[in-house]
Amino acid sequence: MVMELESLDDIRKFIRGMSLLLESSDIPIATTPAEVVYKEDNMILMHYVPAVRKPRPVPILIVYALVNRYYILDLQPDKSIVRKLLDAGFDVYIVDWGYPSGSDRYLTLHDYVEGYLENAVEKVRELSRIGKITLFGVCQGGTLCAMYASLHPEKVKNLVTVVTPINFDTDEGLLHLWARSLDVDKMVDYYGIIPGDLLNVAFLLTDPVRVLIDKYVGLFERLDCDNDDEKCRRMNEETVSDFLRMEKWIYDSPDQAGEAYRQFIKECYQENLLIKNQMKIGGKSINLKNITMPLLNVMAEHDHLVPNSASKPLSGAVGSKDIKTLVFPTGHIGIFVGSKSQNEVCPRIAEWLAPRSLLDGEKKRRNRTGKKPKSERRSIESGDKSRRKKT
Amino acid sequence: MPSMDEVNPEETRIEITHELFDLWLKAYGATYGRLMEMPAMGPMRERFTKLMKESPTSVNYFVTMMESMMDFQSVLLQAMIKTQEKMTSKIESDMESDLEGKPTKETFRDFYKVWFETYSETFKEFLKSEEFASDLSTLLSRSIDFQKNNRAILEETFLKPNDLPTKSEIDELTKEIYTLKRKMNELTSNLNKLSRRG
Repeated sequence: MVMELESLDDIRKFIRGMSLLLESSDIPIATTPAEVVYKEDNMILMHYVPAVRKPRPVPILIVYALVNRYYILDLQPDKSIVRKLLDAGFDVYIVDWGYPSGSDRYLTLHDYVEGYLENAVEKVRELSRIGKITLFGVCQGGTLCAMYASLHPEKVKNLVTVVTPINFDTDEGLLHLWARSLDVDKMVDYYGIIPGDLLNVAFLLTDPVRVLIDKYVGLFERLDCDNDDEKCRRMNEETVSDFLRMEKWIYDSPDQAGEAYRQFIKECYQENLLIKNQMKIGGKSINLKNITMPLLNVMAEHDHLVPNSASKPLSGAVGSKDIKTLVFPTGHIGIFVGSKSQNEVCPRIAEWLAPRSLLDGEKKRRNRTGKKPKSERRSIESGDKSRRKKT
Repeated sequence: MPSMDEVNPEETRIEITHELFDLWLKAYGATYGRLMEMPAMGPMRERFTKLMKESPTSVNYFVTMMESMMDFQSVLLQAMIKTQEKMTSKIESDMESDLEGKPTKETFRDFYKVWFETYSETFKEFLKSEEFASDLSTLLSRSIDFQKNNRAILEETFLKPNDLPTKSEIDELTKEIYTLKRKMNELTSNLNKLSRRG
């Protein structure tokens, strides 16, 4: 009798879930208001509408990885690193790499770092009327930011890297193990543009049972209440919507520009040249010791995609004197969208960035008087008015 | 095929399957394979030679696919056996039962937990192994060879005869456009620098 009731309960949960899925429409994602301020080929630079009247003078440029979409950082209003940074008073920009197509097959890492990223940085500097900005790189985006910062330290005030691989010679991550025996030349020569679906398969294989089965079982398990109760129905709808947003992001993998992919796999994953300061892009050597600006290196303790042994060495490889390393008890994705992301990760990042986001002169004057000078207040205000546009 | 006297009883079924495919490949190479490599004759000789040259890729891909599937099935079987063992010991040790000895609500949740954890652990061990990394790379490589062969057949038998663009022609154009764009960007950047100095 108990067994039969238990089965009925499971069946009810399943029906509840299916009825909500059937009623679900397109789920809105990345809803924080922003305007497009620069566009080049597939790359778009967006500026978020500031949440405070006078944002901090040093703007943040967020650079996400090429292998996934940037909007994981602004998935929904209550799970948004972007919103947290805006609420903390920062002026935030973000790079959307877009979806490479066949015509992008010859794009190299040089084009991404010295082309698109350089132009994005220049645009942010121009719009903010400031010499140096904060580069905030996430995952592979952090690797690109580290390359850029080592080539152009004069334009970077602070470098923040989140779950960023720098040392690829580790046996702790499955992707690191598999990449070693990959015939990347054959892949790139054939595909030209590496299909996002192929990368999805690789990500799925890192934890197949959880990703292909347990995740879906978990969804139906969480639908505890009955849909007849209005409050419960709304809770269930939220649970399903949250799930669908993650599901959309997970399988929204852009194709990869072949030559950039080739160089990244060969020179980073297979030869590990970056941490050895032997990597070159466009003929220019990348020396991580040239990174002398303050560095915040954020890691996830249970990161199965970018293990700590891949991220931590950055702290010892740079020439910076002001270095902080933070490790949070989350997974690779959890650090962006988990509860700890909102309650711990973002506040700690904001806390570190705040005193380092003042203008140099302002910092000295504040140290002396504890107040902002009038002339600088006026210039910040006029900058605010010109930027206040909504999409 | 090895005789019964030559079969090592210690060998697993998977190893025997791999041996079977090795023998099959050798037999293919000695028979049909030789036919495929025979020089072609006649007016279509060029096209025919090109297509037949790549025919072993289909065979290699098929064999690699089958071997990979066998390896995966072996892992699934190991996971099933381990799960069964763990479930049995869990039932004997601490499962709650109702008065009639039937499993209660918590039992099925525990069953699922044991099943999920065991499968997850078994697969993760397999996926971490060097053999898997090497097999994955081989499978991908053979799959690409197979797709390249299919593309070549499509180009030779359909695209070219119908005067339609092929991938290699499009790639040439893309490369040209990319080079021109890059040159243009460099020149623009140099011009801007010069005008700022001026």
